[in-house]
Amino acid sequence: MTALEAVSVYLPPARIPIENLAEPLGLTEMQVRIFRRFHGLGTVSRDPEASLYDLLMKAARGLEALPGNQHRIRYVLYARTMPVVAPYPVNPLHEVCQALGLDHALAFTVTHQSCAGGLLAIDIAGRLLAADTADGPGGGQDNSAGPLALVLTGEKAFTREAKMFVDTTIFGEGASACLVSAFGTRDRMLSYVSNVRGEFDNATGKNDMRLQHEYRPSLAEVMRQALDEAGTTLDDIRVVLPHNVNLVTWQRMCLLLEIPTERVLLDNIPTNGHVFCTDMFANYMTACERGLLRPGDRYLAAAVGAGGGATFAAMVFEH
Amino acid sequence: MTTDAASVDSDFRQRVVDVMRAILANLLEYSDPITEDMHLMHELGLSSTLGLELLLQLEDRLEILIDVEKMNQDKVSTVGDFATFIAGHSRPA
Repeated sequence: MTALEAVSVYLPPARIPIENLAEPLGLTEMQVRIFRRFHGLGTVSRDPEASLYDLLMKAARGLEALPGNQHRIRYVLYARTMPVVAPYPVNPLHEVCQALGLDHALAFTVTHQSCAGGLLAIDIAGRLLAADTADGPGGGQDNSAGPLALVLTGEKAFTREAKMFVDTTIFGEGASACLVSAFGTRDRMLSYVSNVRGEFDNATGKNDMRLQHEYRPSLAEVMRQALDEAGTTLDDIRVVLPHNVNLVTWQRMCLLLEIPTERVLLDNIPTNGHVFCTDMFANYMTACERGLLRPGDRYLAAAVGAGGGATFAAMVFEH
Repeated sequence: MTTDAASVDSDFRQRVVDVMRAILANLLEYSDPITEDMHLMHELGLSSTLGLELLLQLEDRLEILIDVEKMNQDKVSTVGDFATFIAGHSRPA
């Protein structure tokens, strides 16, 4: 069963108050006030001096289990929100692989599901490893020397569109690195459900109002489907790890799901902003740091990727 | 969460309706009469974003703080529903 073996997150220490971004982003005073009052944004994490390579490396260097285990890494998957993050022929993913001693691994990018891409990458990583090791260890057996995949996330907020989703969120910078196995026992993935809705392409904008209307019900639907597939219910979920799109969206999700907002880990929205595909991993780390996850606890990660179409995704884990 | 119109301060609710009408007319550039039974999204074309601007302007003009986290958009769909909710879920700023 697909499992997270280790997670590392890097968030730049600098925090920029959103008011400082008003002029460069062309925000009105009203837009800034709405971001702060209702979207719950206060600051966003940014590091103008750090390149994308720097962000990814800082996250990967935080994986204590990686040094000495490079030979076990078969795949490196880079999940990202934006389809293009560097000018040709610059390839930050390949540079990171070289620096980490992972030249032998098959490295590729997972994209076109925007901020839901991180969950997709975990699923793909587990499936690839499972297919490679079909005759390998069964669940519960020792996987201490088995093959692994490295899932990376992280992006630079380098253009206006990459800095902000108008009237919805402001992006922060950061990165994550996660080791995935096919037969692990640590954070086991019990289910994954996604719903790709190509009709919600913001390039045309013609279905924007419909997306607003269907956003929360569609996310709730995949969350419920993921719970069903995992054979569990929302009552048994210790904490929901959201994408950090904004506070009001999740307050309204909680009304729809009929759960108190305390069940959703919203701690990082006011300080980090929406860190692309990294939110789930950052929120996982916060949940661990706060002692919210004990062995056997189940948690639900949920995300929406909106842009060139919309992807609604949910994943249930057992810690 | 919904609120019964009969359970809120009717004078305050009417103030909310009056201020809402003025804000909506300006926000949506809507010149026809705005009635309490009008659907905010389907009839008036109020988007989620403009809905938040409406809330913020109401807070400013009425000097209140609205308990937005309790507002279920699916159950607060008309001008009248919105005013009733605010009358029942707000406090002085």
